[in-house]
Amino acid sequence: MNKPEISNAFTTVGRETPQINAIEKVLGKAVYSADMKMAGMLHAKVLRSPHAHARIVGVHTEEARALPGVHAVLTGDDTPTRMTGIHHKQHRILAAGKVRFIGEEVVAVVAEDEETARDAIDLIRVDYEPLPEVFDTGEALRAGTIEVHDGSGNLACEYNVVRGDVDAAFAQAALVHEDSYETHSQYAGYMEPMATLAWRTSDGRLHILTSTQTAFLQRMRIADAVEMPVSKVRVIQATVGGGFGGKTAEECNSLICAWLATRVDRPVKFVNSRLDDFQGCRSSPPEKIWIKMGVDKDGIIIAKEVKIVADCGAYEGLAGHVLQVSTVRSDNMHRYLKNVRLNGKLAYTNNPPHGALRGFGGPQAAFALNSHIAVMAEKLGLDVVEMLKRNAIKSGDTSVHGFQIGSSGLSECLDQVSDGIGWDSKKTRPKDIGVKRRGIGFGTAIHVSGNREMGNWDGSTVIAKMAPDGRVTLMTGECDMGQGAFTMLAQCCAHELNIPLSQVTVLPTDTDMSPYGHGSIASRVTILAGNAAIKAAREVRERLLTLASEKLGVPKEDLDMANGEVFAKSPAPNQKIPFGDLARLHIYRAGGEALQVTATYDPPTFLAMATPEQYGNVAPGYSFAAQAAEVEVDTETGQVRVLETFVSDDCGKALNPLAVHGQTCGAAVMGIGWALYEQMRYEDGRLLNGNFADYTMPTADSVPYIQSGIVESMEPNGPYGAKGASETAIVPGAAAIANAVYDAIGVRIKTLPITPEKILAGLRAKQAAQDASGASR
Amino acid sequence: MKDFDYLEPASIAEASEMMLAHPGGSVMAGGTALMLALRQRMVTPSHVISLRRIRDLRGITHTPAEGLRIGALALHAEVARSPLVRQHAPMLADMASRLANPQVRNQGTIGGNLCYGDPATDPPSCLLALNADVVLRSARGTRVLKVDQFATDYFATALEPGEIVSEIRIPPSAFDAGYHARFLRTAAEHRPLVNFAVSLRKQGDACEDVRMVIGASTRVPTRLRKAEDWMKGKTVTARLAAEVADLGASEIEPISDIRGDGSFRRDMARTACRRTIEDLFNPAGSAATSAA
Ligand SMILES: Cc1cc2nc3c(=O)[nH]c(=O)nc-3n(C[C@H](O)[C@H](O)[C@H](O)COP(=O)(O)OP(=O)(O)OC[C@H]3O[C@@H](n4cnc5c(N)ncnc54)[C@H](O)[C@@H]3O)c2cc1C
Repeated sequence: MNKPEISNAFTTVGRETPQINAIEKVLGKAVYSADMKMAGMLHAKVLRSPHAHARIVGVHTEEARALPGVHAVLTGDDTPTRMTGIHHKQHRILAAGKVRFIGEEVVAVVAEDEETARDAIDLIRVDYEPLPEVFDTGEALRAGTIEVHDGSGNLACEYNVVRGDVDAAFAQAALVHEDSYETHSQYAGYMEPMATLAWRTSDGRLHILTSTQTAFLQRMRIADAVEMPVSKVRVIQATVGGGFGGKTAEECNSLICAWLATRVDRPVKFVNSRLDDFQGCRSSPPEKIWIKMGVDKDGIIIAKEVKIVADCGAYEGLAGHVLQVSTVRSDNMHRYLKNVRLNGKLAYTNNPPHGALRGFGGPQAAFALNSHIAVMAEKLGLDVVEMLKRNAIKSGDTSVHGFQIGSSGLSECLDQVSDGIGWDSKKTRPKDIGVKRRGIGFGTAIHVSGNREMGNWDGSTVIAKMAPDGRVTLMTGECDMGQGAFTMLAQCCAHELNIPLSQVTVLPTDTDMSPYGHGSIASRVTILAGNAAIKAAREVRERLLTLASEKLGVPKEDLDMANGEVFAKSPAPNQKIPFGDLARLHIYRAGGEALQVTATYDPPTFLAMATPEQYGNVAPGYSFAAQAAEVEVDTETGQVRVLETFVSDDCGKALNPLAVHGQTCGAAVMGIGWALYEQMRYEDGRLLNGNFADYTMPTADSVPYIQSGIVESMEPNGPYGAKGASETAIVPGAAAIANAVYDAIGVRIKTLPITPEKILAGLRAKQAAQDASGASR
Repeated sequence: MKDFDYLEPASIAEASEMMLAHPGGSVMAGGTALMLALRQRMVTPSHVISLRRIRDLRGITHTPAEGLRIGALALHAEVARSPLVRQHAPMLADMASRLANPQVRNQGTIGGNLCYGDPATDPPSCLLALNADVVLRSARGTRVLKVDQFATDYFATALEPGEIVSEIRIPPSAFDAGYHARFLRTAAEHRPLVNFAVSLRKQGDACEDVRMVIGASTRVPTRLRKAEDWMKGKTVTARLAAEVADLGASEIEPISDIRGDGSFRRDMARTACRRTIEDLFNPAGSAATSAA
């Protein structure tokens, strides 16, 4: 499926195409979960734990129950005893027995309206017996310390991967360097806080309309937690106002709402306030990363040892997967690296739980790795871009962990970024010596497009239906959360059938009707669902041609299609028949049926996650990115201004350059926010800034004009050569900025975020060191 | 937010009576601060008493004898745009044009800003440097206070029950230059970490008279009296600017919170102070122009 096989008048493939659902959003007509109203609908609110670790001794709900308008006040003891979670089933729908983080949901109220529910919450009293708490991962992993989960030793999971002969390689290395880095957690910061509406029908089925990236995973998890067969649970994807990994199957708004709807006789709506969302979300895991790297005299990376300790928070969720990615993925960028020793540990603490966030462990590793490489390049006297290029993995390579790189444009990304930002001239210009000093830095990234994990299936299914008027409707189990999945599917289908994009409708996932799909995670939708959509559309095309051939009496080879009609190329060029006629003919004949095709694409990949070696080709394609940032550091205030940034994304064929541009810029901004502006501030496990006044995401004022470029490496497994493009560009930014700061002022910030206070402290330390060495001379 | 009754008095006297009749009520001007508090249930008033219909709280006028009069309901954006303010208190108009973001400037009022008593704001220090009067009125009468008498503490003011701020007056002054520097911790912040306001009269390179104020990093805007005394009558050199900044920074009692701890705030106050003075005088050898 490499090249577009038909080039036609109506194709939008490779052309800048506005999102097919953009108009309804800008007109305010898109229906989000919180917009939906049902007759008799009730409203839910939750009471959260004020303790990071405590036994629940008593819950007093009498007053709340007595409040007029209150329908139910439910506690952990009312929830099914069955545990819920991703790998480790670790908690009940509401906390029972003990709470493990501040913000954990303890009591739920269902009332006539939201204000009454809030009033009732204020009337609830919970007696806690505080337990000793543990917040630091180092402390958590110390033998004999306080346990978040009994018997766990606070070790949620551990990875050990050894390949080649690391010690021998270090012995041969021309330069070995080791250092430690720390990253902090990031909140998804989507515009729409989590919201869910759930109701039961008289047949006992449970219906859940929610903001989700993964409707089917939600169905599986909710059915399991509320102890219902999956067929009795229906999850409907509402319009999603951004997900960024935060709306997979970890957040608890949907789960609690769904369960509440099984406990009262009326529909229940639960809308997170922003504070609820901050407290109940899964932000990305903070990591402490130690790297030891050996390179030869030419800067070729030949040995690498990495130890990571990640903070899981109170429950594992997807944090184990995130750590796996941080531990192994970045190694696959370097083509000569054969000797690695990796250890990743995930520690439970009484911090709020961490989990999936755009980049999924990539940004953490890339920050450490790209910082580290910059240091080594400097020590070797090598230009870092040159060093990165020498090591860059190429199409056709198999990486140290068995990734089969069908396409890599990493080198091309590096070239594009260097040219775009003017690397050579900026690198060689005289250093600023005034109060404000400029510097420039680089970062690189690898990301997957798909990732074989669940059930040894990483497939995607698309159903294509042609209505009797010739229009096509596509159904998918993957979700559009604003990233443009539906537009991409419509483009593939319209291209294959040579019809205008407007002739294709893509339906949001409804687990009662849509084909199964894992959902929008791991940048998998373009490569997997895109292929499935092409396959489905080609089958529709085949059937249309077969029928038209019968009807017109023209051999199939002499037929073609355009603008919703099949026509004869020869011998009678004016013979044609509209799709609508063919669609009707497909039904209205003996033995006929509506024209509907189901097609599945499951890529030729390997379930490495399930093996201790973690070796094998996990994804049908790998995306790459490079980014350069030029900053100006104010040496008196510690402020860092990003003057310019250029990011290149190798996403294979850009099916929709406009969407890729949007994703790249958005991801780059998120990377800048993580590096410089955003910080979840905790005090003994309590989030101090759960609002957008104090958790400062980047604003238009605080980011430069983002320049972006696309490298089309043409992935053999990809639909028309495409790979994923939504996550890669969040990965390299923090390192690019940290490297630029170092270039500007000679201070290396190894602990994110890069704050004014850290810059000033670094400058003071540098000055003190200079003074000391001056004095000793 | 909780339910409340909504009242719209047409005069200051009526508003004052309503406030006294409903001690659990809240006055509302633009609502940018109040609505946040209501939604978070930080306040749960029985009545919301809107000032929007009171014409006496509007308008910006000027007389040579009395100076500027800015109605409490003047929006930040109106203060920024007003030709009168731009002519007679240019640093105030300039400050108002940079404060917060366009949404807040188009909805928030200067009176509401003062009455909320939030330290992390810009107008109080600016108005104190301009020696402004805050006029408070109630059914009982009128009081006139200076900004540092009006702002009494963290989120606290001298307003008494039944009293509202009707206007701000900026008396004519002999100062001929000034600036309000709004310093954000990072470019993505919404609120000032610290601000520095200065009004002065220049005589060539010298400073004849000066009023300097630090705000946003202190519980209430703070006059830098020692720094003022040191600067008065002297030629402003880079060195003097640094001395003034050092003195000024030593005069404040900075707050510590998640936006910044006290010592960082003090350092930034010093830098904002020095840079602003340098920008106003452009002395040779100032850090902005020299190779440090
Ligand atoms: C996102 C954001 C960013 C901001 N950034 C800045 C900034 O950078 N710099 C800055 O200076 N400010 C900033 N602010 C604060 C903003 O300036 C104030 O919220 C606004 O000026 C308040 O005016 P208002 O008319 O909306 O007051 P309201 O919300 O209506 O009232 C505020 C309080 O004052 C009382 N009140 C109002 N008017 C009167 C009156 N005439 N007499 C007696 N009591 C009264 C009310 O009862 C209430 O307690 C920001 C606010 C937001 C939301």
